[in-house]
Amino acid sequence: MAAVESSSFLHLARPLAPSSFNFQNNLAPLTVNIQPQAILSILDHAIRRDTPATPTTSSRVIGALIGSRSEDGSDVSVVSSFAIPHTENEDQVEVDVEYQKNMLSLHLKANPREALLGWYTTSPELNSFSALIQNFFASPETGTFPHPAVHLTVSTEPGADVQLRAYISSPVAVNAERAAESCLFIQVPHKLAYNDAERSALDLISSAKDNETRVAPVSSDVDSLANSLENTIGLLDRVSEFVSAIIDEEQEPNNALGQYLMGALALAPKVDPVQIEADFNNHVQDVLMPAPCHGCTFQ
Amino acid sequence: MADSIKEVPLKTVQVEALVVMKIVKHCSASFPTTATGSIVGMDQDGTLEITNSFPFPTADVANVEGSHQNDASSLAAAAPRAKANIAYQNEMIRHLKEVNVDANNVGWYTSATMGNFVNLGFIENQYHYQRENDKTVALVHDVSRSSQGALSLRAFKLTPNFMTAYKEGKFTTESLQKSKLSFRDIFVELTVNLHNSHLLTSFLHQIPAKPTTGDVAMPTSLADLQNNPMQMPLHPSADTLELSIDPFLEKTCDLLLDSIESHYTELNNYQYYQRQLAREQTKITAWQTKRKAENAARVAAKQQPLPEDEWQRIFKLPQEPSRLEGMLNAKQVEQYSKQVDGFTACVSAKMFAVRGNLLPE
Repeated sequence: MAAVESSSFLHLARPLAPSSFNFQNNLAPLTVNIQPQAILSILDHAIRRDTPATPTTSSRVIGALIGSRSEDGSDVSVVSSFAIPHTENEDQVEVDVEYQKNMLSLHLKANPREALLGWYTTSPELNSFSALIQNFFASPETGTFPHPAVHLTVSTEPGADVQLRAYISSPVAVNAERAAESCLFIQVPHKLAYNDAERSALDLISSAKDNETRVAPVSSDVDSLANSLENTIGLLDRVSEFVSAIIDEEQEPNNALGQYLMGALALAPKVDPVQIEADFNNHVQDVLMPAPCHGCTFQ
Repeated sequence: MADSIKEVPLKTVQVEALVVMKIVKHCSASFPTTATGSIVGMDQDGTLEITNSFPFPTADVANVEGSHQNDASSLAAAAPRAKANIAYQNEMIRHLKEVNVDANNVGWYTSATMGNFVNLGFIENQYHYQRENDKTVALVHDVSRSSQGALSLRAFKLTPNFMTAYKEGKFTTESLQKSKLSFRDIFVELTVNLHNSHLLTSFLHQIPAKPTTGDVAMPTSLADLQNNPMQMPLHPSADTLELSIDPFLEKTCDLLLDSIESHYTELNNYQYYQRQLAREQTKITAWQTKRKAENAARVAAKQQPLPEDEWQRIFKLPQEPSRLEGMLNAKQVEQYSKQVDGFTACVSAKMFAVRGNLLPE
């Protein structure tokens, strides 16, 4: 499992929603692992929002986060998400609760092991509507209670970086009437996590990122091998350039890097050339043995 | 207008990054059980744009008595044409439409292991989709192959010739000879391209990329380097340089042998049929000569001759076994052989690299 970490994070004891007496409150720091397909789906939703923004539609969109929790609830992985239609203007917000309920049950039918985790929005700001929606998602009847609901904000301003922030909340209110629309958001750390199977997909996806058309063909194994080899040779060239620059006294030498490179070079095995030649021939013969079957079966 | 759109045949399939991730996640999560799901999108000038996908619900196999993995796989493989799933699919598409997702079903996806997807179930599913809408495709994601190298995602469609033949359900030697249908004409493979949105492109530039040029602060000690390992860029990855792909080659060869074996079973079945047919035919000829002789005797005796076509009632010709199974098998063998070709190309390149490294020139 590889992960792209956000910067280091200071954990404070987090306030929690009042829970029943039997439930053991867990005070361990909460981490949110976000899988790439959840983000991709949020970004896709952000593109598909109703445009142009009319007074009844807002520029942000919201949706639900689906995923799994570790047993003690301190580790949350967001696996996927779905969009929820909502309308928002200056003084009121409307979320299609019926839609959310139906979509959640449809989703859980296909992925019975996943659960509702919280919600996302595509604007970085938190306002009283956010609190209202957050309380809806954290409530015992419709939400994630007794676990805290996770709120993920994804900024989708054109021309700026996409920024992710994860929050949980605890109730806070000046008086009883306003309890529904207030809550205290506390930021929690998050990281992007992906596993080996997704890596090859991400490889393909990022191969298109420097392309003006944003399109990349699905390449064959040999093509991608050639690509990787070229890349590796390029990296080796850079290192040897760096080393020769130091030898020619054009650049300041660096002890740490030198030590590191020595360590890396020492890993090369010492082998008998005759032995290697024999092993190589044996193996290549093994490998090439089944190859002609393609030719003889169909030509 | 509608007609002019129809005339453009599908040439390429353009898959949104979101769909790739969703399919990969679903398929690898349920591996080694087969995973299937539905894809939505729209076609435009011969390009099928696939913009979203969702998995089919898996039947609850845990409750079925004596179930094991194969049952789950076969259930999942049959999912695209199950009644309950068609309802599920329609419901899901209706919901997706409300949030501005393209609400046209354009086919389905399935997972595969080492390219073993060519079977009757696959054909039936694709036929089920293509019967209603010609512009539907089957996306095949090969989980095992993707784990050792580049992502394997392919798009297939049944040929019109095969569609008509399958509709009639006739796969006898005679009909195959007439329509010149061979195993090569079952599918057309469409090129698959990946497409990113602007927003995603901007996001991708944020996660680790190639080191940018410019001055980099030099590390002060070895510990610095070891504590902050360099984040490798996602593309091009060094994982494809992995040397241990022999198990994959071995597995493919195993599967290839299996396929050849089932080809022999098919062949035996057919030979059995031919022997049976020959035996029946000799019997019929014998009967006919006997009847002719009888009739000649009766004519000589001035009696009414007996009818000569009664053999059709007395003898029953054996049914010719369907050749479809054999055709699919041939296709599967071809698929495996191509795979072996690809593997050996990769492995031998890597082998030479290793030798070049270890042997001083």
